[in-house]
Amino acid sequence: MNRRIAMSTLLLLILSTSGRAETIEVTVNGLVCGFCAQGIEKRLRQFPATADVLVSLEQRLVAVALKADTDISDAKLTEALEGAGYAVKAIRRTETPMAALREQVKVGRE
Amino acid sequence: MPTYHAHGAGACLALLGTLLAPDSIAKPIAFAGGTTAMVEYGAGTMEEAQVFFAPSHRWSVGGGYLTLDSDVDGSARRIAYARANWLVKRWNLEGAQANVFAWGGAGGASGNGFSGRVLAGNAGAQADYETRRVYASLKTDFYDSSEFTHRIDTLQLGVAPYEHEYNQLAVWLLVQGRTYTGDLYRGTEWAALLRVFKGSVWVEAGVTEDGNLQSMLMVNF
Repeated sequence: MNRRIAMSTLLLLILSTSGRAETIEVTVNGLVCGFCAQGIEKRLRQFPATADVLVSLEQRLVAVALKADTDISDAKLTEALEGAGYAVKAIRRTETPMAALREQVKVGRE
Repeated sequence: MPTYHAHGAGACLALLGTLLAPDSIAKPIAFAGGTTAMVEYGAGTMEEAQVFFAPSHRWSVGGGYLTLDSDVDGSARRIAYARANWLVKRWNLEGAQANVFAWGGAGGASGNGFSGRVLAGNAGAQADYETRRVYASLKTDFYDSSEFTHRIDTLQLGVAPYEHEYNQLAVWLLVQGRTYTGDLYRGTEWAALLRVFKGSVWVEAGVTEDGNLQSMLMVNF
């Protein structure tokens, strides 16, 4: 009985972990100047949940990699990006690792 | 009257710049919590240093020091000022951004045509528009005191040879037209400029049609 409970708990833990977003991808308007966009990275790195930040002018993308078992709400992300002076158009929570996103951005440039 | 023709051409380009809604010029507001420091050498007619802190992306406060040396009658002005800047309106478009800024302030001025220091007011505005390939801005800066009045209008139009990516070196080729009132300079002072920036450092340099250096350094932190 105890073994069955332990197995179920482990299964639930695996399922809940795999369903958690690893990255938040935000489509942003007005992203045309790398110098001016420094404020975005500076602001997003202040969140305790932020593990990494990627900004792509070409993709109009701001991506935040989250630390394990943490999150940043859509409202807080929107507030941060609008506070940096930009317009948020869409927010997606994905499991795409930041390394893969960086590769996509790099390939898009070539 | 070639001077009037030059002014007319400058005004037309300025109007065009406004209609095109241009921006990669130095902005008086960087980002919330950011500080912008800027120094400019304006071909021997004007030199300026500024530092602004922005509590919000909508406004910033700080100060500056401006020197004006007339190319016409040898007059000189030295103006130290405190100033507040406002982002009046921003348009964040899919592949472009446009802004309208306004500012106002006051300070003390000295000069070689009068004795002591006088109170000087400052007001100005800037409209700019940029994509990753084209850029335009129009700025007007007005200084008024009991001893002098000067307005400095600056138009910049630029193209980028390639679309830069975040944290890559950005390169811009620009034409700048600047007019001064109050017998500081006759006609429009045209300059060709190269602008580069990467990370939080921005440098631009070039020459005017008179062969004088025009340059600017700006840092965000």
